[in-house]
Amino acid sequence: MAVRIELGPCINCGLCRRACPTDAIHFFTTHHRTHVVDPAACIDCDLCVKVCPEDCIVPDAGYVHDPGELAEAKAKARSWAGVQLRTREQLRSRAAAAVAAVTSR
Amino acid sequence: MSRALAEQIRTIPSQREPAYRPAMFIDDEERKRLAAKLGDAANYDLQLLRAMVAADPSNIEFRKALVSGIVSAEYAGIDAFSRKVCEWQTWPVPWELIMAMARQTWDEVRHAQLGTGLLESYGGKVGEYPDTLAGSPPNEASQAAARAGGIAGGGPGTDMMRDPLISLSVTNVALEGAALDLFKGTSELGRKVGDDLMQLVYDYNWADEVTHTAIGDYFVKALCEDNPAEEERALRAHAMFEAMRARLSGQQSEEIRTFFAEEVERGTAALAGSAAPASY
Repeated sequence: MAVRIELGPCINCGLCRRACPTDAIHFFTTHHRTHVVDPAACIDCDLCVKVCPEDCIVPDAGYVHDPGELAEAKAKARSWAGVQLRTREQLRSRAAAAVAAVTSR
Repeated sequence: MSRALAEQIRTIPSQREPAYRPAMFIDDEERKRLAAKLGDAANYDLQLLRAMVAADPSNIEFRKALVSGIVSAEYAGIDAFSRKVCEWQTWPVPWELIMAMARQTWDEVRHAQLGTGLLESYGGKVGEYPDTLAGSPPNEASQAAARAGGIAGGGPGTDMMRDPLISLSVTNVALEGAALDLFKGTSELGRKVGDDLMQLVYDYNWADEVTHTAIGDYFVKALCEDNPAEEERALRAHAMFEAMRARLSGQQSEEIRTFFAEEVERGTAALAGSAAPASY
């Protein structure tokens, strides 16, 4: 299964595109000023669904993944998750250092 | 409104009481004061400040700095959108767009009021911290986006962002779309640290920003209707804005890379600047 974007209510805010761990959502390259999901790259993680302010991302139950493409997409998502985790840890670490610096004054 | 008045408004610099004091231009004394409050002057960064509030919810100074940084942008928003109400009357745009900019101006006024009230609830005041945005001219990312959109002459930032199509694409869709993350995250931060007022204020702002993004997308589509070249111009400005922001944050999506690779393949001369349209 994958997801698809209902174009009527979509406001092209791009939150889904920026949240997608597999770069499965395209806007700049669709040439129709629309956000479109590439179902082959979608791992149905629902991150885009959670951030959409218009609730216009819905299941695309009709799409059936090829096992190879799904494995490839999941590997990309794992790599993305690793980067996100490191970024968050760095931010937390900087915040902790700032708190310590203020506290020690 | 006469063309003369619109032209006169162009020459009036952004003003506020207390006066704007952009963070990038503060002196060493103020850097020291920031460092005393936040550990380091460089910690006056909205993303980091949110993490600092989460790390030490008992430190009210962190909240004051965070809300000061955000409310500064709201004051800049009042300035920016009210200018569009005046200036765009000399452009061939639908009157509904002018009305939408007037509505957005008042939305930004309410956001500034809410943010100021929240700041005062912490014992802070506007001007205590430097400004993250300071009205016109627009920031580096906006100016680069406008250049990419192909404004004739490539003049100073204020001139580039005056083009309604580029301004809507960059400010309303790209920038306000990106701000949705900030407001949602700050509202969520308020919930996490038990700050009901922060949670409510930024949830309210978030809802308005969704509307602003929708307004921008609607009018970009309207201004580009049946005109692929204009649609491309708006898209290029949007892409450049996102690319600049991504560069500043050290992250760039495959989508943006692909877009610009395609641009190069098409041999576009857009970055050198093409003529702005005579009319919509």
